[in-house]
Amino acid sequence: MKITLTVNDEKREVETSPTTRLLDILRDDLHFTGTKEGCGKGECGACTVIMNGKLVSSCLVLALQADGAEILTIEGLSKGDQLHPVQEAYIETGAVQCGFCTPGMILASKSLLDRIPDPDEQQIKRGLSGNICRCTGYTKIIEAVKLSARKLAGKGGEEDE
Amino acid sequence: MSKRIIGKDFKKVDARDKVTGKALYTRDIYFDDMLYMKVKRAPFPHAYLRKLNTDKAESLAGVVKIITAEDYPDLNKYGLIYKDQPVLIGIGEKMHYMGDPLAIVIAETEETAKRACELIEVEVEELEVVTDPLQALKKDAPVIHEELSGLLTDRLDKKLNPANILCDHYLEKGNVEEGFARADKIFEREYKTQHIDQLPLQSEAGVGLYDEDTGTVKIWAATQWLHDTQADVAQSLGLPKEKIRIIQPTIGGAFGKKEDISVHIHLALAILATKRPVKFSYTRKGSMITQSKRHPLIIRHKTGVANDGFLTAWQTEVIGDVGAYASSSPAVVHKGLYHCTGPYNVANVRGVSYAVYTNNTFTGAMRGFGTAQMAFSYDSQMDLMAAELGIDPAHFRLQNAYEIGSSTPNGQILTRSVNVRKTIKEVLAMTEGGK
Amino acid sequence: MKKRGQGMATIMFGFGYGEGFPDHSIVSIEFEDESLLIRTAAADVGQGVLTVITQIAAEILKIDPDLIKISQGDTHLTKNSGSTSATRQTFFTGNAVKQAAEELLGKIYHYASLEFRSNHPELIVKDGHIFRHDDPENKLSYWQLAEIVSQKGEELKSEASFFPATDAPDAATGQADNVYVAYTFMTQKVEVEVDTVTGEVEVIEVNTAMDLGKAINPRNVEGQIEGGTVQGIGMALMEDQVIQNGITLNPDLTGYLVPTAMDSPHFKTSLIENEDADGPFGAKGVGEPSMIAAAPAVANAIHDAIGVRFYELPITPDKIKKALKDKIF
Repeated sequence: MKITLTVNDEKREVETSPTTRLLDILRDDLHFTGTKEGCGKGECGACTVIMNGKLVSSCLVLALQADGAEILTIEGLSKGDQLHPVQEAYIETGAVQCGFCTPGMILASKSLLDRIPDPDEQQIKRGLSGNICRCTGYTKIIEAVKLSARKLAGKGGEEDE
Repeated sequence: MSKRIIGKDFKKVDARDKVTGKALYTRDIYFDDMLYMKVKRAPFPHAYLRKLNTDKAESLAGVVKIITAEDYPDLNKYGLIYKDQPVLIGIGEKMHYMGDPLAIVIAETEETAKRACELIEVEVEELEVVTDPLQALKKDAPVIHEELSGLLTDRLDKKLNPANILCDHYLEKGNVEEGFARADKIFEREYKTQHIDQLPLQSEAGVGLYDEDTGTVKIWAATQWLHDTQADVAQSLGLPKEKIRIIQPTIGGAFGKKEDISVHIHLALAILATKRPVKFSYTRKGSMITQSKRHPLIIRHKTGVANDGFLTAWQTEVIGDVGAYASSSPAVVHKGLYHCTGPYNVANVRGVSYAVYTNNTFTGAMRGFGTAQMAFSYDSQMDLMAAELGIDPAHFRLQNAYEIGSSTPNGQILTRSVNVRKTIKEVLAMTEGGK
Repeated sequence: MKKRGQGMATIMFGFGYGEGFPDHSIVSIEFEDESLLIRTAAADVGQGVLTVITQIAAEILKIDPDLIKISQGDTHLTKNSGSTSATRQTFFTGNAVKQAAEELLGKIYHYASLEFRSNHPELIVKDGHIFRHDDPENKLSYWQLAEIVSQKGEELKSEASFFPATDAPDAATGQADNVYVAYTFMTQKVEVEVDTVTGEVEVIEVNTAMDLGKAINPRNVEGQIEGGTVQGIGMALMEDQVIQNGITLNPDLTGYLVPTAMDSPHFKTSLIENEDADGPFGAKGVGEPSMIAAAPAVANAIHDAIGVRFYELPITPDKIKKALKDKIF
């Protein structure tokens, strides 16, 4: 079957089967390989993308469900060389180690901040609880979300720390 | 402080590529005309392989090739320290755990390779499964590996079953009998730890191709030690090292799990057999069942302490579950033993460790490498001794902690950079002298 | 009821392969186009060795770290740097990079002194350039110098191997003079809250002091301590791959629990930097020691909170509930 989806503001047509996972369409067909597979069962969050404004595990979304959807992947977050404030915050706080959870974690952070612009620590922890990171112990990731909130509120960056 | 960059919170050099999704991990690498592969694994943890029928699998549309031990009778066993792991189990040979490979299936798509694996018919002769290292140590236990380990010492206790022991190690420092005689209190406790998966978020994967010009197999795959992986792949295939080229993509975590061979040899075989690019990705489940774990250790401490709070003797026995193959076990279990007293002065130490084969998933390297399990036991032991003696646990540690000139269980005299007492005082200061 | 408790643990970790096993790292440095290329096979698994060696080379050679490139690990283009394991890369590859950078710096002085007709003490290096102290305007960039050197048929590049020896312990006694190249020490004190109804344990606060010689990159070290400690908390409280009769019963993340952001405690970390070890700038390794104190510290804190000592890991809610029940009756 042929499906149409908008990925990072660009309309794409893909010839696929109805049961192909969105994850595979993004990676194998469209080569948005920033979206990672960690478990294939919706348990780890590495394949997180934003679909129609909502966080989804792209390993659990089938082609049929993705037909007509608007998708944001990690590749669509920065504009040219200009990083998104959440991406900047992850670099500045040292929230990136192996980086395999990072794309999903950053999208989960963005989605959280879209809903709650100034989250407290518990809200951050809950907002990221579907994304597993094995390297950082989450401390610097939580810091990164706090810094992102300040950046998005226009309160600048590192000098606030 | 006159350094410009050392000691500074310098930004990670690879962070920008990682936050933008540009960093290329193994599975992010694609080639035209690329094939996919899967490995058919053992259906039972301890059994002889009697029949393997690949006919149905081979007739599935999209299957390119199926490789079994029959196709490559001269493959050598592999392993990080002790080479006891087979590349493929042949007819009449024994499988030792659920991860043992029976056949390599190469197909046009990953889904086809997976379905073909399911169509392979396997007949086995089941054997008694040994899952508990204490059982494996008994004289009447089923024998897991037919060949006796080449790592055993002359000191091995004659009451134990050498057939299932991979290696034994010992500590003798000072005189423990005298040390226990001087003790006012003696504590004997047994500690047990569990199997743990290192769980790097990226599971094992490899992609590679055959370079016609140089006759080289080129593989992109994560490994914690490129050159060791290259050497092991080459020796196992009987090829010169320079015919195996391994390139390191970005690595999605390791924690010890990526020290062992995983995809590498099977992938090289698939590439050599098809001369086409091939990708091989483990599922999370496959990674958890087939690749290494942290060792469950049984640790028995007998410790003597005088009423003044000084340790007089320390005796430790360690039994480690190796699982089916050696992996890093010849180094892990006794590294735990060598750290048995923790950072505490004890003049009289005796210890023994056994690494014991079972039919469980093999155990190997994981962050801590035997010392994480040992720390749980020795610092629990320290804590309970402090409580029994009525001494503040922090002061008990401080009183016994190493300083310059201290000697480790191995008898190594520490001559520099021994600030362990400072770490205790600092933590007390950070918590405002609380208990 | 919720009960709080505190517990501590003090650990040591002898790093490097040790035990007489050959353990070394080979690194080379050369100039390439506009950059300085470090060739190493050291695997960065996320811990940050590539960042550490960039800092070391930039420090010694006094150049902008942005100009440093590190080659992709490749058996055919990089020499053996040993494994990323045994807490060894900062110490081994860090030292090898420092040595290679120092050797390259020596060559820069040597060849520049020919060009400037001066002796080494009269020369100054700054921002990737070398010049006479009394004539800073008349300077040569390292890349210009490399070009001059290559015109002479020689090369401005360096290679170094760091290869310290250790001793194999005696098979019967385990004794030897020098078993590991160095030891890292750490003390942690944690505070936990035990829910006596559900058996759940929350680690609230972790205080850490680590004796690490020198932190090349303090934030990365904190990242190692935080990440390692949370892995240790996983070992203490939840992680358990259940293998029954050789069969893995929980080969997925629904059955095998690892810490999530909800399990992340508050950290306070103090780095004790006496610069007294043989690693680069006095550093010791931190990767493994950062994870091993958490399990005993948490177990000791649980004992402090509820008066029960556990001898088997993980200390799950079921075990705590059962122990509390046994204690009452």
